[in-house]
Amino acid sequence: MPATEYPGSFLGRISIRRNQVIAMDGNHEQELEDLELFQKHVSDRFTELLSPPDDAPVEAPLSIPWLRKLLDVFLCCEAEFKAILLMGRDPSQISKPPLDRLIPELLDRAVKALDVCNAVTNGVDSVRHCQRLAEIAVSALNQKPIGDGQARRARKALNSLMSAMNLDEKEGGSTKTTERSWSFGRRGGNKDRAPGQFRPLSWQVATNWSAAKQIQAMTTNLVAPRGGEASGLASPVYIMSVVMVFVMWALVAAIPCQERSGLATHFPVPKQLSWAHSMIGLQEKIGDEWKKKEKKGMAGLLEEMQKMEKLGQSLIEFTDSFQFPGETEKLEEAAAQVAELAETCRRMEEGLVPLQMQIREVFHRIVRSRTEFLDVLDQGGKSSAPLV
Amino acid sequence: MEKNHQPEVSSSFKKRDEEEKSSGADIVLPATESPECSNEEKPVAAEVTEVEIEKPEEMKTGETEIELIEKPEEKENEGGGEEGEATLPPEIDYNLETASEDVERFLSSLSTPKEEGEVGLEIPEFLEKYLDLVEEKISKHEPVETKVKGCLLPEDDASFLKAVNQISKLYKNLSAGFKLDSNKGPLINRIGKIQQRAMSHLEDEFRSLLEDPKLGEPEGEQAGADHCPLPGNDQSAESNEESNFPGYSHEVLGYLTKIAKEMISGGYESECCEVFLMTRRNIIEETLNKLGFEKLSIDEVQKMQWEALEREIPTWIKAFKQCANVYFSGERKLAETIFSNHPSLSDSLFSNLTRGVVIQLLNFAEAVAISKRSTEKLFKFLDMYETLRDNLPAIDSLYPEECAKELRAETTTARCRIGEISICIFCDLENSIKSDTGKTPVPGGAVHPLTRYTMNYLKYACEYKATLEQVFKEHSKIERADSTSRPRDYEGDSQNYKNDEKNHSPFAGQLMRIMDLLDANLEAKSKLYKDVSLGSIFMMNNGRYMLQKIKGSAEIHEVMGDTWCRKRSSDLRNYHKSYQRETWMKLLGCLSLEGLNVNGKVVKPVLKERFKSFNAMFDEIHKTQSSWVVSDEQLQSELRVSISAVVIPAYRSFLGRFAGVLDPGRQTEKYIKFQPEDIETYIDELFDGNPVSMAKRKT
Repeated sequence: MPATEYPGSFLGRISIRRNQVIAMDGNHEQELEDLELFQKHVSDRFTELLSPPDDAPVEAPLSIPWLRKLLDVFLCCEAEFKAILLMGRDPSQISKPPLDRLIPELLDRAVKALDVCNAVTNGVDSVRHCQRLAEIAVSALNQKPIGDGQARRARKALNSLMSAMNLDEKEGGSTKTTERSWSFGRRGGNKDRAPGQFRPLSWQVATNWSAAKQIQAMTTNLVAPRGGEASGLASPVYIMSVVMVFVMWALVAAIPCQERSGLATHFPVPKQLSWAHSMIGLQEKIGDEWKKKEKKGMAGLLEEMQKMEKLGQSLIEFTDSFQFPGETEKLEEAAAQVAELAETCRRMEEGLVPLQMQIREVFHRIVRSRTEFLDVLDQGGKSSAPLV
Repeated sequence: MEKNHQPEVSSSFKKRDEEEKSSGADIVLPATESPECSNEEKPVAAEVTEVEIEKPEEMKTGETEIELIEKPEEKENEGGGEEGEATLPPEIDYNLETASEDVERFLSSLSTPKEEGEVGLEIPEFLEKYLDLVEEKISKHEPVETKVKGCLLPEDDASFLKAVNQISKLYKNLSAGFKLDSNKGPLINRIGKIQQRAMSHLEDEFRSLLEDPKLGEPEGEQAGADHCPLPGNDQSAESNEESNFPGYSHEVLGYLTKIAKEMISGGYESECCEVFLMTRRNIIEETLNKLGFEKLSIDEVQKMQWEALEREIPTWIKAFKQCANVYFSGERKLAETIFSNHPSLSDSLFSNLTRGVVIQLLNFAEAVAISKRSTEKLFKFLDMYETLRDNLPAIDSLYPEECAKELRAETTTARCRIGEISICIFCDLENSIKSDTGKTPVPGGAVHPLTRYTMNYLKYACEYKATLEQVFKEHSKIERADSTSRPRDYEGDSQNYKNDEKNHSPFAGQLMRIMDLLDANLEAKSKLYKDVSLGSIFMMNNGRYMLQKIKGSAEIHEVMGDTWCRKRSSDLRNYHKSYQRETWMKLLGCLSLEGLNVNGKVVKPVLKERFKSFNAMFDEIHKTQSSWVVSDEQLQSELRVSISAVVIPAYRSFLGRFAGVLDPGRQTEKYIKFQPEDIETYIDELFDGNPVSMAKRKT
């Protein structure tokens, strides 16, 4: 829609935003200013995630603290977005083309994001399972000196840890078996499992649900507004959609999740959009990492899990060859790894519960906002428009 | 120190050199004899002697006196065989049982306080042998799969657990006393290894027992195993499946508890908890699955047809109730039983285990609450609302405070959302009434489908009256700062009934508002009839239908109140009057005396005209109105009676007065077509909904 077609009545509105009464002419300008500010904020926030300012602690991308920052960014963007779109606005404005199409599309993405939140919440549960197994290994290997019994104990826990982590491999594999290792309700399956192995937790969202497909579905119709639309409200809707898809995509990449094959496929964000630069940078970084690891099969790109996997593997080697009293050199090397593993566990212990709660907060926020948008669409008299 | 524990150490297996060092030559005797006596009697005798000899000496130290006295009985027979030299052949007779007793004594000696400055402790010779025996025992036990699970516990298990207990103690005590890198290192390492092996085995056994509850399976299949609920579980009324949750027999439960105790005291608490957590979590999932509760993604729920989603709701309700009242409390008791000495452990295990399940259940409610709303969903939503409301206390009571707080908040959020959406749905009824603006009148003035739909909907809604009242009170308050949408002032909407005390609740206000809207809508619809009388009949039919519905349901009657009903009845009377006026007063006009008498004489042509027009008019009325519909029998008869009461006496008297004026015969026949009885018959044919022509009837 060319700029000249901007609805006349639109300019006639009096905005009560920020308690200001803006006269007819000022309104559109004010709005452009708001939109620019929103873009700038989004851009700044993601720049900070990509390369934090000097005075801020550097968090490895996809580490637990980084993910928590990411979720904060999401919540901030979302609040600002809602303020721009809803506050002091006449409902009829957003029930007009092109918003009458774009907003329902956004809300549809929001529903899919809710499922991702739940899937990731379940995923955090399985990360905690890994954490607890690693803690067993840490406490066994922290005995000084290490006896054969403790070494074996550690090895057993670490083996369970590795198999818990590698579940994703089967799940992500291209051959779909009817009996997935992580699905429940397979009593008979017990027999296949070697004794001493944990039966994996079921982290299903629903049968046949796929995180990768869901993310992909979120990108359907995700096209940058062009022409006159680019300067209007279509633009924040687009930005918010991209932010939402990116955040969900990053969560899925980091945390074990049901069915993620093909996640690396980038969603299309036009590179010329200045606000998206940092986000694109992050996306490429994470995407490359994903491609590297995907083939191996893994529990996710979560920094702490990667570290745990690496340390776990080398400690398994250590315990495999260990025989009391052990070689000093190897013992020292192991001790350093154990300390690092203990530190990783500590960070998980510290961060996982808050992360899980934050994911839940995002969930509730999305639900609430969706309801508010629907209300407004309803009032705008477009309630009969199909929302699915 | 040496003196202190010396008696136990020396009791049967002390090496000669040790003995010589400490308590003198008398003890050498059994040791030297032992190679020869491969039978059982002799060593025992020897031991008794030994003890007796030592006793006086020990009495002075006093510490181990009791054990010493008891020793002979404990010791019983075998076991003395290879005392002294571990290298000597007749070891066959020394078994785990006896060795275990020796270890027991050794352990208790370890736990006795040691004097300051005393160096280390002696490791008795028999220990290595004991460890061999324990390893042998573990090997025999290890293949868990071969054992029949869930059956009576073999005696064996008790002795196995005892061995594990001793190994743990040995490991704990010895590794505290000696450094692993001391010269006792290999021994301690060995014990640690055995302990790990034993624990690993216990872990497997714990898991395999846990994995196999006898839950809700047909009796026959589990022959032999008794289905016992947890102690204290009330199993009275519930069905078998529910009552025996979580479905472990007393024996299994006892064994699980013992295993947990050994694992925890041996320092393998984390393993034990993890197995418990993972296994039970999967079992809960399976249990929900068996109830028919299927995991659905929120996206799926949005796309489901209501008919399909509707079917999921009762299953969800059942699952939620079962969890809150049966499964979770069973789960809690299970954790408390198995980890009976560790309340904080059972607390955190239980919370960890079930918290996610609650969230998962709530997610379904969230999914349903954000699905596209439509009026038919209201009642299922209210069912869910009630479930969340009524089962919260049960859930709340199970959790430690922190977790309870979170789950309370989550449950309340879900309930609020369903509450809010229910209000919206209920208010949507307004819109569906407003938008019903069809221009085609219902044939015959019958009850309009909108009236039927609305009234039945409201009647049904009033069966949820208490809940709806609560929903309106609690959830219409939630004002969104940035939204100009609902709620509105419900009370202000029903000014007409404002004085009726009962109607001050927001729900009653909304109900009134809907009734007012329906009234207004019907009023407009009645104007669609060209015939004013038919419009009145339409209003009477619909008004009557509404009134009957309201009177037929105590709940809705209570909300609407007597005032409303009285007003409605009087409205109906007015429509009745207006109908009579429109239809029958005109007819009676034909029978009026006015203009018939001129100078005391009946004007015959006028009279003929009157009869003619009466006949034609009545004929017409009969023709039209017998096709009108009054399906309410009482209303129908009321109408007929009142019509008869107006028309028949007037006609009868008119006839009586003027029939004679007409010439009998042809003239009378031509003008007097109806006898009063005929009129009555025809009136009784009105409002039947089937047009009958009078001519047809006459033939």
